[in-house]
Amino acid sequence: MLEDLFNPGSVAIVGASSNQMKIGYAVLKNLVESGYRGKIYPVNPRSGDILGIPAKGSLDQIGEQIDLVVVSLPAASVIQEIEACVKLQVPYVVIIPGGFSETGSEGRELEKRIGKIISGTRTRVIGPNTVGVYFPHSRVNMALTPPDRVSFPPAGEIAFISQSGALGLLTMDSISEYGIGISAFINLGNRLDLEETELLQYLSTDDRTRSIAVYVESLRDGREFYRTLKEVNAIKPVVVLKSGRSSASAKAASLHTGAMASDDRIVNGMLRQAGAIRAYNEIELLDYARTLAHGMPFTGTGVAILTTAGGVGVITADYVSSEARGIGMRLAKLSETTKDRIRKEIVSFGSVENPIDLTADGSVASYDSVLGILSEDEAVDAIITYALPQTPKMDTGIVDIISKHSRTKPIVVGVIGSKLGKKLLIEFEKMKIPAFPSIERTVKAVKVLHDYGCYRRR
Amino acid sequence: MFREIAESLRERPVTEFALKTALRSIGITVPEGVVCTELPGNLGLSYPLVLKVSSAEILHKTEAGGVMVGIQGRGELEDKFRIMKERFPDSEIMIEEMINGGIEGIVGVSRDRNFGLSIMLGSGGIYTELFQDVTFRLIPIDETDALEMIGEVSLSKFVNGFRGLGIDKAALAKFLLRVSGLAGAMGDYLSQLDLNPIRIDGHRITVLDAKLIKRQSR
Repeated sequence: MLEDLFNPGSVAIVGASSNQMKIGYAVLKNLVESGYRGKIYPVNPRSGDILGIPAKGSLDQIGEQIDLVVVSLPAASVIQEIEACVKLQVPYVVIIPGGFSETGSEGRELEKRIGKIISGTRTRVIGPNTVGVYFPHSRVNMALTPPDRVSFPPAGEIAFISQSGALGLLTMDSISEYGIGISAFINLGNRLDLEETELLQYLSTDDRTRSIAVYVESLRDGREFYRTLKEVNAIKPVVVLKSGRSSASAKAASLHTGAMASDDRIVNGMLRQAGAIRAYNEIELLDYARTLAHGMPFTGTGVAILTTAGGVGVITADYVSSEARGIGMRLAKLSETTKDRIRKEIVSFGSVENPIDLTADGSVASYDSVLGILSEDEAVDAIITYALPQTPKMDTGIVDIISKHSRTKPIVVGVIGSKLGKKLLIEFEKMKIPAFPSIERTVKAVKVLHDYGCYRRR
Repeated sequence: MFREIAESLRERPVTEFALKTALRSIGITVPEGVVCTELPGNLGLSYPLVLKVSSAEILHKTEAGGVMVGIQGRGELEDKFRIMKERFPDSEIMIEEMINGGIEGIVGVSRDRNFGLSIMLGSGGIYTELFQDVTFRLIPIDETDALEMIGEVSLSKFVNGFRGLGIDKAALAKFLLRVSGLAGAMGDYLSQLDLNPIRIDGHRITVLDAKLIKRQSR
């Protein structure tokens, strides 16, 4: 199921346009530029060629199997296209325009009519009121954004389901900067038909996806969501950003989506019970999803810290061991053997106590030895290591070294800096090592690996 | 076990005494007590005692003047019983042993239109509403859920003992599991179940006050 949506052999765009101001242009342009290898059919009765592809007058005229139809027409014109899709047995239709249930009773009626038309047929609908879908592995980019305005992430292992289209696009644009990849992006919009639970179930079986990030403002059926979440979480990790925590924002969300808000304390309990990691903003959502896609979950609480900057080590220690403004875990108590062995690797004014400080003298070679020693200490359940590119003995060789050791122990990397720092972060991402540009984000990633590890052990 | 008890509470209006009897039968401790219209000669209860009006209609007993506590002897009991009868001539009166000491907590079950039944655990006392020291899970819960709930509220600070007060985590978890089990068996007719306060003294957890609100039949 859903495979034809994620990996369609042919795509038709109804409302494709050569007018650059139209969404029907952007969607087609994005699809062409993403390098999609299947068949593309622009549909527009008033056009000859669009972007060099001959346009069809209607869906009927295509005369071949269509796996995915994207409708980019005003709301009032959508019904007849849906009827055509049902007749042609198109499996998936993405309805981009707004003007449905989110606008009031008239739009709601329109949406209901679509629901009736597809009911009992093999045609499934995404949307309406969606910014589109993006499946980088099959090179399907059907987002409505002008291609020169938004960057899209490369193919990766995080599936991203978002109830809000804009938040989804903005987040994808941001992570592209660091080469963070995704396996799929789906903006569900008004969720007339397809909703989170079905996508979660599919993604749990999708080999390209290692973790799932979900943004929701409201839930169609909270119980069903809970059951699915719990089931999927036992297979692969799901991170949930659920907004509407305060009554004021819940009201905004319910106006936005027309759904009834629940007490956030119940939502919180539900997420814990389902073993889902809760994110509170878009940064955490992707940080945690990335951590769980790449990192090694664990159950202990002893964290070793390795740094070349003393202050960074101390602040990290605070964040590791504090309940408030921290993750409430503890610093691993290193064995005497471990400390003796580390002492031989570092300068006399460095620290062999946790947090271990190699000082500005720290080299890629000393990282290699110390990470090896820490990996062998049973008191160490996870390692936070910094890769700080500002000192002379540090270079991009650190990435391979950390990559090697992260096969034996859970490791999360902190990188602080600008140009060189960003370069390192991109390298770590390529090697699938969770790395973050701040102390706090680095430490929180450790907690996420711990929480998911504990859930999986239950 | 839960199903039978839940069925027995489904049809008729449920007084606090009936609810407590039901709780007792699923292994939850409630104070020793009797319910009567006339004061019996020999109660078989130890002082101090508490008097409560027993009626399915009166939900806020204290506000209605339907609770008297700290009754120390037979003379006082007879006086107070008479006052209670004058206030509530048509109701039965519940006489219970008074439980002192321990740590106050709250356990509740409520219904959310999105998630259905959930169970709540909170630290008790007069500041509960103010401190919002509570945590929720969807019903049914398992033992790990129950233990996690305890860890999420301040009650957990008593697990290792504090000034002679203590909480047995396993006993409290079992208590939560029983409430979850009963509420789950009640299912569709349950709107709200309030066990407030509960008194926790080591492994002994006593429900001092219990309320059941049923859903309007639809």
